[in-house]
Amino acid sequence: MTPKRIIIDTDPGIDDSLAILLALASPEVQLEGLTVVHGNSSTEQGVTNALSVLELAKVSHIPVAHGCDLPLVQPSLLAPETHGNKGLGYANLSEPQSRPIVQKGSDFLIEQIMSNPGEITLVAIGPLTNVALAIRQEPRIVEAIKELFIMGGAIRHEGNTTPLAEFNTYVDPHAAHIVYHSGMPITLTPLDVTYQCILLADDVERIKQVESDIPSFIEETTRFYMEFHDEYQGIQGCVINDPLTLALTFAPELCDYEEHYIDVDISGGVSMGKTFADFYKMTGKSANMKVALGVRPRDFIDLFVERMQNLSRSVSSGE
Amino acid sequence: MTPKRIIIDTDPGVDDALTFLLALASPEIQLEACTTTQGNVTVDKATRNALATLEFLNASHIPVAKGCTLPMVGPLLASDHVHGASGLGNTNLPNPTTKPVPQHAIDYLIERFLAEPGEISLFAIGPLSNIALAIRKEPRFASAVKEMVIMGGAIREGGNITAQAEFNIYADPHAAHIVFHSGIPITLIPLDVTNKCMLYAKDVKRLQKTNSPISQFIDDATAVYLEFTKEKTGIDGCALHDPLTLATIIASELLTLEGRYVDVDISGGISMGKTFADFYRTAGKPANMKVALDVRGEEFVELFLERMETK
Repeated sequence: MTPKRIIIDTDPGIDDSLAILLALASPEVQLEGLTVVHGNSSTEQGVTNALSVLELAKVSHIPVAHGCDLPLVQPSLLAPETHGNKGLGYANLSEPQSRPIVQKGSDFLIEQIMSNPGEITLVAIGPLTNVALAIRQEPRIVEAIKELFIMGGAIRHEGNTTPLAEFNTYVDPHAAHIVYHSGMPITLTPLDVTYQCILLADDVERIKQVESDIPSFIEETTRFYMEFHDEYQGIQGCVINDPLTLALTFAPELCDYEEHYIDVDISGGVSMGKTFADFYKMTGKSANMKVALGVRPRDFIDLFVERMQNLSRSVSSGE
Repeated sequence: MTPKRIIIDTDPGVDDALTFLLALASPEIQLEACTTTQGNVTVDKATRNALATLEFLNASHIPVAKGCTLPMVGPLLASDHVHGASGLGNTNLPNPTTKPVPQHAIDYLIERFLAEPGEISLFAIGPLSNIALAIRKEPRFASAVKEMVIMGGAIREGGNITAQAEFNIYADPHAAHIVFHSGIPITLIPLDVTNKCMLYAKDVKRLQKTNSPISQFIDDATAVYLEFTKEKTGIDGCALHDPLTLATIIASELLTLEGRYVDVDISGGISMGKTFADFYRTAGKPANMKVALDVRGEEFVELFLERMETK
């Protein structure tokens, strides 16, 4: 089977870095590049983190493009309390030797998608600024993209940034609005499913059974994330949103999906950034995406743990 | 046990009328009065329906006060397609021989609650216009209400008038905003629980066996409503939205309540009238009500049916 060609648009970010590692650990996908966006960290910090994580996994040849530094309309909103001042919790990766490519993130997306029509699957696990900008600059990517997987939104589930809004969507709701209504074939992974996928300290211990730099990194980065979840949300362990979205590109059976008309509030009121589904067809509009509303959490966590063990073994043995 | 004294603020409405039936069939409850508001129907129809239903139930002694004609800010939103042109489905109750009390509902509510502070509970099963205006007109009103139970909102559940908003709240979101933040001890009964209390066509048929005027009334009243939900959702049943508020008195063990900060969107955007709970305390505000998030729905419907059969 030819692996699925994917690009990850990302704001690394603790769970972003785990999603990048999961892509590298999964033979079903081939990671073609990373485009970085503001969100969990500044774009500049995110680029450094992306390059460092690729170096950790010894895949520095994978291109990293620096994307948008600010949301389209809203003021900047970063998440140091969730991801640490440098975006990777307690992990302290060495300064990367490699540099980002010269192209901007949105240009890289346009070029890759347009030169490989029907081939590229985009996995967007940060605010959607780069993707929205690319759609407005080159509308033909809507037809040329194979699929778009988005980590974002909270449908029935409560928000993690406001009572109603999920972080990625809240940070750039206007970009989400553009993307949702673009006509791209979207699969949305909202908090409704990601908040059921909790990586426990025990799971990290299982990964650490393999001795190498990658398990140490996972332990250091998730320890901070677990402290955040405990302090702010009373959750023991940490929610690994982004890796679930990545996993759905090759293991769709982990989730149950429904097709709905889904929109995001950009009115600027108390519901700003709220992502909602028209369950009872009150709007009369047809479905614009597939949304994951059910998940088998332990199947996913086991898959994640196993793949992290495999990746750690193969990287340290120099395969 | 002394029955609990309640006043119902209502917009009858099919499920409002079923609430009267259940209240009058429940020895735990003493229905003291009804105040009417626009909502399912215009306030004129609501008042007529309240009087006619009470008269049909031999309860004409219960006073009815007519309330607000319009929501506070938004336009009037009556829903004939759900409740039938009369508001009571296909029922054909004779015009009432009784009249509403001369006072406006706002003044009646203020008078009743201030006369006996902390004694009476308020059940609001329509848009909250009357209550909000009573709160603003008489600052002592809020603290005189023993407690309030509201049918309204959709927390995790989809809306029934927009994708996100529930009808009673959407019909006067500004009034809901006033009431939610008034300090009155509130229990909210949202669609999350009422949609789990389905009265099916087979249940209506079961009641028919008692061959009473009540069972005939329920059959006639729910006919349009059942047709509407069947067409809309494919389900041959209608939710007992308003009657479920009475479960807080007669079967509170069926409800799962959580203390939460709950607010309503009044920004005028696409989420207008959306009711939401701050589960992770991101708003940093203390709980302002108890909200029902789960219910043993089938048991409630069974209780409703049993009371209708013995009435």
